[in-house]
Amino acid sequence: MKKTLMQSSHSQRIGALVLLALLLFAVLEALFHQGSSVKQNLSLYLTPPNWDAWFGTDQYGRSMLARMGSAIRLSFTLSFICVLTSATLGTLLGVLAASHGGWVDRSLGFLVNTLLALPGLVLILLFAAIAPGSFLVLYLAISLVLWVEYYRVVRAVTLTVVTGPQLQSSMLLGFGRVYLFRRHIWPAVKPSVLTLAAFGAANSILALASIGFVYVGLKPPVAELGLMVVELLPYYSEAPWVIAQPLAAIFLLVLGFNLLAGKSS
Amino acid sequence: MNQAIQIKELSIQIKDLSIQVKDLRIHAGEVVIVDSLSMTLKPRMPLTILGETGSGKSLLAQAIMGLLPDGLSVTGSIRLGNQELLQMDRKTLQRLWGRSITMLPQEPWHSLDPVMKARQQVAEVHEVVHGVDSASAGAAADKQLQQMGLSAAGQKIPTQLSGGMAQRLAFAAATAAGASIVIADEPTKGLDYRRRDDIVRLLQQRLEQGSVLTITHDIEVARQLGGDMIVMRKGQVVERGKASDILANPKSDYAKQLIAAAPTQWKPLPAKRKGCDSDRILSAEKISISRGGAELFKDLSLTLNRGEILGITGDSGAGKSTLGDLLLGLTRPDAGQIRYSHKIPRHQMLKLYQDPPAAFAPNVKLGTLLKELVRLHKLDESRIPPLLERLQLDPGLLQRTSDNVSGGELQRIALLRALLPNPVILFADEPTSRLDPITTQSITELLAEVAREYHCALLLVSHDPVLVDKVCDGVISL
Repeated sequence: MKKTLMQSSHSQRIGALVLLALLLFAVLEALFHQGSSVKQNLSLYLTPPNWDAWFGTDQYGRSMLARMGSAIRLSFTLSFICVLTSATLGTLLGVLAASHGGWVDRSLGFLVNTLLALPGLVLILLFAAIAPGSFLVLYLAISLVLWVEYYRVVRAVTLTVVTGPQLQSSMLLGFGRVYLFRRHIWPAVKPSVLTLAAFGAANSILALASIGFVYVGLKPPVAELGLMVVELLPYYSEAPWVIAQPLAAIFLLVLGFNLLAGKSS
Repeated sequence: MNQAIQIKELSIQIKDLSIQVKDLRIHAGEVVIVDSLSMTLKPRMPLTILGETGSGKSLLAQAIMGLLPDGLSVTGSIRLGNQELLQMDRKTLQRLWGRSITMLPQEPWHSLDPVMKARQQVAEVHEVVHGVDSASAGAAADKQLQQMGLSAAGQKIPTQLSGGMAQRLAFAAATAAGASIVIADEPTKGLDYRRRDDIVRLLQQRLEQGSVLTITHDIEVARQLGGDMIVMRKGQVVERGKASDILANPKSDYAKQLIAAAPTQWKPLPAKRKGCDSDRILSAEKISISRGGAELFKDLSLTLNRGEILGITGDSGAGKSTLGDLLLGLTRPDAGQIRYSHKIPRHQMLKLYQDPPAAFAPNVKLGTLLKELVRLHKLDESRIPPLLERLQLDPGLLQRTSDNVSGGELQRIALLRALLPNPVILFADEPTSRLDPITTQSITELLAEVAREYHCALLLVSHDPVLVDKVCDGVISL
């Protein structure tokens, strides 16, 4: 990562700060609070925030601090592995299609067009419906939808690189594929891949929350932001501060990643 | 219609106007790019500005057109008759474009609409700029095409035209609106000499109808145009006077160097000593190849020996680069065959490219790139310092990245990189066409010398037959 703090724009720094704060909260909560996100105590029905329960409790008397920490950790983990998988897969296949051409390019193009014809969220819903409540399946489904963008961008950029003299000169000098990728292709695609990665993280968090909200994602009692929103929805007038918490977390996560993706000045 | 007549009157009015530039300074922040330039462009008197790339010549053309990029500030005055162009707003300026001042596009065939028929490209100018109906616009276009010797090409699209015809067409379209002042910024860049002479002839014809300002680094263009001349270097006027006087008897050191660097003035290099057959690298027999349905060349036979310098000339698109790819084994001929006397390792058949920065990985120190090459082929790293010295390069350059090194230096580093693996064939694809004349001379001579020293075959592609003639043992014209 050569991109230094100096090169990033004002909004990117704000985005990074927001994300860092959320990450810090999630990590510190796990280290020091160590509350249970599932332990019920019905006598503590919807208590407002107080000195013992900083974030209050939900309708089953569960600690909201513990639940929020757990939910944000879940979102970060999922977005991280989804981005990593989809970026790696999309970049590799994009480079492969552009440098190999021919039937490889055509068959990958067919696959990508097929995937694009289906709305992403529908595809994720479909997967989620096949194996309800499975984190693994959700991860696979979201990655499957996200890699297409990397593939298309990387393929287009790589095409111009592989036909240019830059790559040819290194190829003639006898350098291997890994070198050609590291020295010529990666520097050309890196800015786009990093931008897509930030957007991809925001999209995967939204996707997870969306299917949680329609109740086909992870199953209770897991603390997941979308699921929490739908579970707390009946109590919105009674205890607006409870439902505000997962909503604010989703908003801040998506905002943070979108600001991070913005163009550097 | 009424407006058209008015405009016609306006253009008659300014037909005999001259452009007066006084004390023009263009600077970007603190850096002065053009320093107090004054000149007068008179009708029927060609004015040529001669100088190397990056000397601020093109900015002058842009300043006159009012097209200076943002971020540059300009002081002084540019007057067209009694109008001050620098103070004119964009709208008024735009009314002058085409009607009184026009700028010829660089590499003209790139500026044509690839899917529009030739006649329409010219007729459209009459229709849109002069507002005449399509019938009379067509008639005017026909007349113009006839003058340019393009009558038969009216119904063709640019890709069906030869390079020279496309060029004349672009010229016709650019001047169709009747501008009396023509600004030509490097009009012969990247052209072979025959087309270059065509362009000069067209510019001379324009002189009868007004004035012509030519900006070039080609001595030959300046010589053929004649008239007044200004020699510029790094934004400063170095010398001015009659073109014939300066060219025959340059006063400033820079003008002397520039004139001496024209290929016609070069001393021919010593020819290769007679080679024996054991030096044979390859022989190509009756090779033919076509690209995109068009045949590039047919039944071409050639042999290549170690230490030989073979020139390749031809119009752009004649297949010079493709011939290189064939001989380096990067592509196969449609017919015929290429026989190598012995197998040559991949990394000993190398290329030099037209645009040096395009051939290096960006954002990596040049020294790092060389080290990686040394490691890959287990070469002797101690050969780099003497090579640097041989190629007149400062070792400090290796600490920089490719975009922080000048084109001439970078091309020499590319040569160094190519020499490290002891090449057997070196294909130099117009290695100097983007460089100024002085650098062109030093690099071409260096290239020929080291090719002999390294006993490697050099294929030198150039659009300049004079250059090829001075340097090469043999020439292939495509």
